[in-house]
Amino acid sequence: MRVPPYLLRLRVTEAGRTKVRLWLPMFIFWPLLLVLGLLAVIVALVADLVSLASVQRPRYTGFVVRCLGLLGEARGTEVFVNTESQTVVITIR
Amino acid sequence: MNQERLRILSLLVAGKITSEEADRLLDALEPHPETPAPDEAAAKTASTAAPKFLYVKVLSAAGDNVNVKIPLSLVRAGLKLTSLIPAPAMEQINKSMAEHGIAMDFSNMKSEDVEDLITALREMEVNVDAKNGDNVRVYSA
Repeated sequence: MRVPPYLLRLRVTEAGRTKVRLWLPMFIFWPLLLVLGLLAVIVALVADLVSLASVQRPRYTGFVVRCLGLLGEARGTEVFVNTESQTVVITIR
Repeated sequence: MNQERLRILSLLVAGKITSEEADRLLDALEPHPETPAPDEAAAKTASTAAPKFLYVKVLSAAGDNVNVKIPLSLVRAGLKLTSLIPAPAMEQINKSMAEHGIAMDFSNMKSEDVEDLITALREMEVNVDAKNGDNVRVYSA
């Protein structure tokens, strides 16, 4: 599992001038994410235990862990939109 | 996170460099999204190696331009996630997708199918040239 994104960059340019240049240091939220992730895993474990008797046996814990993994895999995503008047660049690192 | 990036970020947090300087330094470490698409020769060379990104490029006749670069590992992780979605939720997702014109049952997708799909993406290239001049390219590299 890769580490979660550490930086989100948003840049909005209008008529050649940068209107918005946002640097969101995601690594600041890592401790919060860790706590929320742990809570979600605990809740999912309890849900899995409760649903042990059911026929379908949903794997909530696996689902939550994969969701957290998905977050890490988002690193490297880049979106670049250029219109006549505006350019928007979103980068997840 | 490699050492260079960590060092740049720690310098930024310590206030020793500005966000613009950090931006330039990080840009130097990674290719920029505005860089043009690799040419055909480069794409063919890259096709021998495992592709890492899925590119979606839209160029409209009006001059609007959209480039999206998605890590294939994200696609792989997303597809694998579908096998863990609880059945009642999956039914609702499939129903909703069918209503929007995408009649595909993701619950039948197995882990091996996902790997096959990702491997197949290596040779996939979609190139749409519309009458009105719009151009759409989807490929992996």
